[in-house]
Amino acid sequence: MKIDETELHDRLTAVFREVFADDGLNLRDEMTSQDIVGWDSVTYINLMFGLEQAFGIRFRGNELAELRNIGEVKRVITARISA
Amino acid sequence: MSDSRAQTSSPATSVSSSAEVRRGDALRSQGQYAEAIAVYVEEARRAPTGALCLKLARSYEHIGDFPAAGRWALAVVDAGDDFTIWQAAWGLYHRCASKGAMPAGRSVKLALLSSYTTTQFRPMLLLAAHRVGIQLEMYECAYGQYQQEILDTSSGLYRFAPDMVLLAVHEQDLRLPSFSPAPERDIEAEAARWLRLWETLLNGLKTRIVHHGFVVPSDVPEGHLAARLPGCRYGMVQAVNRRLGGLAADNVSIVDCDRFASWFGKQRWWDPRYWNLAKQAVALDTLPLLARHTVAVLNAGLGLSRKCLVLDLDNTLWGGVIAEDGLAGIRLGSGVDGEAYVAFQEYILTLKSKGVILAVCSKNNRADALLPFEKHPDMRIKLDDIALFVANWEPKPDNVRRMAAELNIGLDSLVFVDDNPVEREAIRQFVPQVDVIPLPEDPSYYVRALSQYLLFETNSLTSEDSQRTEQYRARAQYAELEKQATSLDDFYASLKMEAVITPFTELDLPRIAQLIGKTNQFNLTTRRYEMAQLEAFVKDPNYVHLALRLRDRFADHGLVAVLIARRDGNVLDIDTWLMSCRVIGRTVEASMLESLCRRAQRLRCMSLQGTYIPTEKNALAADVYEKYGFSLTRNDGGRTTWLYDLERKGAVVNSFIRTEAI
Repeated sequence: MKIDETELHDRLTAVFREVFADDGLNLRDEMTSQDIVGWDSVTYINLMFGLEQAFGIRFRGNELAELRNIGEVKRVITARISA
Repeated sequence: MSDSRAQTSSPATSVSSSAEVRRGDALRSQGQYAEAIAVYVEEARRAPTGALCLKLARSYEHIGDFPAAGRWALAVVDAGDDFTIWQAAWGLYHRCASKGAMPAGRSVKLALLSSYTTTQFRPMLLLAAHRVGIQLEMYECAYGQYQQEILDTSSGLYRFAPDMVLLAVHEQDLRLPSFSPAPERDIEAEAARWLRLWETLLNGLKTRIVHHGFVVPSDVPEGHLAARLPGCRYGMVQAVNRRLGGLAADNVSIVDCDRFASWFGKQRWWDPRYWNLAKQAVALDTLPLLARHTVAVLNAGLGLSRKCLVLDLDNTLWGGVIAEDGLAGIRLGSGVDGEAYVAFQEYILTLKSKGVILAVCSKNNRADALLPFEKHPDMRIKLDDIALFVANWEPKPDNVRRMAAELNIGLDSLVFVDDNPVEREAIRQFVPQVDVIPLPEDPSYYVRALSQYLLFETNSLTSEDSQRTEQYRARAQYAELEKQATSLDDFYASLKMEAVITPFTELDLPRIAQLIGKTNQFNLTTRRYEMAQLEAFVKDPNYVHLALRLRDRFADHGLVAVLIARRDGNVLDIDTWLMSCRVIGRTVEASMLESLCRRAQRLRCMSLQGTYIPTEKNALAADVYEKYGFSLTRNDGGRTTWLYDLERKGAVVNSFIRTEAI
């Protein structure tokens, strides 16, 4: 299964908006936890879980610990979806 | 706000729903919130999913209607167990509550003492508690500090002075080796450790304890051998759970996490990735359900459980409409649906035996509504079981209000069960204090729908439950009897079987036709008859027809055996004789023969004749005639004919089953 860039971006944005309760949140690939209000160790767990549910994927255990910016998140999701 | 798990919607409606929901979404994104709400509300009537409730809550928040927003946020609790949606719903509810838009609820101080990360669990608990009208003020101990907090009486826990202490602990906290050479000692020591923690809390605080039971791990190195080895950790965890259950006094409640983790699936309950990453001992997607179960137990501990089940009749306790279909037309007792309604009634009776009051609220003429209770042989619920019986044509919300008054209990003690979505909606709308259990379309799933309703939880057996205690005692005695019964005769006698044998009645014909159509094993001739032929037998004075219902100390087995015989001069010839496989090996056949002998004597027949026609499946019935004293008169390649000299031998007698022949 493949997912195109725009769809990935939109669905990702929807999950971030849900988890961080911010309807105006817009994502850019270079954004990190520093750029998003409320991104801490707790919301990070919620975010990972939300992404797994929304995309129907499972991250590898070590990926859960390593995702640092939006670009990486997209790369791993794409890899998991097409796996 | 009160009710409705989302699973009731059929796939067909969810497809059209999602189209409507998308229309609502489009309106909402254009800022047309009121219009979006109208679309969403209409959809929520059909299929109130968590996502939809949340959309409604957000739309109401946008237009500044905070009470409505908060109510829909709470409705999420009843509409599914999605972690992310619950998380968002709590955030929204909290915003509405801090604006003073929500009713305060009963305030309870809860100390959450855990051995794993509960940051995610906390909001779930808060939301689930608000749903039942409890406003939790929470204290959380530092990660993994539960023992220190309990043992140090100067800790923050004791200053907080909680009404309730929740011990959110998990299996890895148990101090048990992976294999013990002395399991009993280790189990006892570990149970004693927890007991000491409980006692320290109860001595230092005026509080109740809710303890999360330990989930027996599903990854078991010993494999199936573990079931035989009391010394492996698998067996010891089970033993500690049982021991703690026995030690818990009235002020300690245990959430049976092992049961509900099994229900949920242990592979999902325990996700090693999240444990390794963040010490989450309970996977996030199980947290909403864990919160609901925990709150149900906590609620019972406060004495706030629901007390009364208000039941609809048509298509709820039986299939069909009694006023239209008549006594013989309703589905109850036989067939897939008929069995399902019986199972549902039996489940309801079990609730009654643990103290739930049963009431009936039906749109019917009273005489019609009473008829199945008075006349239908497969009704399990009797009129005596019903505390209040209301059958009239008044609107149900009015009836329900009057019923609460008459029973002298609050509306918030009632739980309403109805197959009709219109009635459910009326109750939700006009008597929102009443909880509504939506029944699925298929009665086979009624029991499950009711079992998933959690607020009948009780904390202890009350005096009214003494009958149930008696039942337990009876069971224990049965186990004893079974141990002591040294011969088969003793065993039969101990069952205290009772049979009722009657000629075929109109009411029984569908079940008889069903047995004739499908019984293969104990079936002497395997002749299949349709309803019309059976009706002809009933009308023909030359036919004797017997139907047997069996009951024992433990169960009512219903109609389980059928016999049809034709009178031919002074011989009574057995045309059809069969028995359901669930009662094979219990001497039922002797009772049938006994009854047939009595009939034959009354008809002045001198002998009984029987035929055995072998099939691939009925070998077990081959020697039944021989066993009861018939003589072989013919053998045509396995097809045998037998004769019983009634005049000389007298009637067959079965002393194991007390039989009433009508």
